[in-house]
Amino acid sequence: MALIEMELKKFIRQPANLFLNLLFPAVLTIVFIFAFADPEVGMSLNSVVPGLIVYAVIFVIMTIAQSFSIERQEGLLRRLNTTPMTSSEFMGSQVITHMLISFLQVLVVFTLAFLLGFRPDSGIQGIFLALPVTAIFSLSSVGLGLITATVSKTPEAATGISFIFILPQMFFGTFVPITSTTEQIAKFIPSYYLLDALTMIFEDDWMNPTILLDLGMISIVSISVVIIGILLFEKYGNA
Amino acid sequence: MSSDIKGVLKQLDEKELRKIAKLKKINIPEKWSKTLILELLTLNVSTKDVQTFETKPLGKKIESDDVSAIIVKDLVKQFEDVTAVDRLNLEIKQGELFGLLGPNGAGKTTTINILSGILEPTKGAAIIADFDVRRNLDEIKPIIGVCPQEAAVFKFLNARENIELFGNLHGIPKDELEERTDAFLELLGLSDASERKVKGYSGGMLRKLNLIIALISNPKIAFLDEPTVGMDPRARRKTWEFIGSLKDQHKTIVLTTHYIEEAEALSDRVGIIDYGKLIELGTPKELMEKYETKNLEQVFLKITGRRILEGI
Repeated sequence: MALIEMELKKFIRQPANLFLNLLFPAVLTIVFIFAFADPEVGMSLNSVVPGLIVYAVIFVIMTIAQSFSIERQEGLLRRLNTTPMTSSEFMGSQVITHMLISFLQVLVVFTLAFLLGFRPDSGIQGIFLALPVTAIFSLSSVGLGLITATVSKTPEAATGISFIFILPQMFFGTFVPITSTTEQIAKFIPSYYLLDALTMIFEDDWMNPTILLDLGMISIVSISVVIIGILLFEKYGNA
Repeated sequence: MSSDIKGVLKQLDEKELRKIAKLKKINIPEKWSKTLILELLTLNVSTKDVQTFETKPLGKKIESDDVSAIIVKDLVKQFEDVTAVDRLNLEIKQGELFGLLGPNGAGKTTTINILSGILEPTKGAAIIADFDVRRNLDEIKPIIGVCPQEAAVFKFLNARENIELFGNLHGIPKDELEERTDAFLELLGLSDASERKVKGYSGGMLRKLNLIIALISNPKIAFLDEPTVGMDPRARRKTWEFIGSLKDQHKTIVLTTHYIEEAEALSDRVGIIDYGKLIELGTPKELMEKYETKNLEQVFLKITGRRILEGI
């Protein structure tokens, strides 16, 4: 609990974190809804909002990578290692904190979108269903953030390397609509399945059997990535 | 603080404790409880002070006993082609303040990092309070406190939050943690700045906070890696007094420092290491006699200088 409290204080007290994780998604939500959510150009709010949610969550990769790299550089991880806290307690606190942050981001996007007229076809149920699905997906961002922190020697390098994971997720479906060609590549990217699932949920198509495939892929990929991230970071990145 | 002194202080009432504090020129706020005053005094009172107060005699000054707190046997740490610690052998007694000296890159910090479980040794053994650092880290971590060379503190938290975070990780009960935090902040002169974010602290303040975090869990064994580096002379002197008072609490302390006068003033014994090897060991007095010098700094320069000249 002490570590979760500390991580949340870090999130709140660091303006860069607040900007990147809350303000920026909020501004993008407003801009995208005004600029693109027009049925005449072929995009409904139901298809814009999933992209905004994915965008918000994938930026957790950068936040985690920077945070771990800074703490490693400042000797804080080494110091924490000398306390009786176990490594699973430490990693558990990180995962929980960043899932909470993702949850907060999604709430911001939903609230703003709702105020700007977003009414999913599935009603409020759709929003409630979208939250746990997004929470599971946020595990993949935590895992990719840890992998980034493992291979980055400095916080600056962490920022750069995190884009290797962020950009493909941004451009294969999140901001740029998928074409039949890019869809084949997008299927290797976890955000593709979240986008697909959220779109179906908001369009009240969540009885569609495809959603089970999406949820299965989101769960398998996210849990695998977070486990790989934790193992790699504990072995190679934690000193 | 030995249990003897603590026992004597516990028998005194608040008024008497305040008198001792006055004798020690420690400013105790009126609102402080007896427990808090006791906590502060146990960090700062020597046997001599209690005797001066004419309580019952306490016997001889506390010395280190014969029980080994740390045993290092043929310890080796290799980083690719660099041998940072080279077959190091050491035995540090319980209650001893041991100064580990050496030039930059001699292997002091690596040794401390191995003893505190941060690094794994390449070869050899290190035993802390009967526990093996390779196998029993879970038993070692609750009894040690580590003050790293860099001020490893969370910059976005204030001093109190930093201390309480690490206290919580050590499982200290809330009330006790609050009292200990207040006492340490007062002792090291950080009370007024305790609610300020650490980001704005000076180097010396960060060092003090670094030291408090290492000691908040009341560890049996403390590793202090250059705890006073970057402090101004006054703050350094105050911190020396504080570290000296830890000896009275019967703590085992391993201190690395570049201030040889610090080691001379505080240490029961010193070990000088260079290129990862222990090249001299003894009390400051023994070493000064052996090398026929007036102070430990000259001993240090003689040993390390000679090694440079001889190309060892």
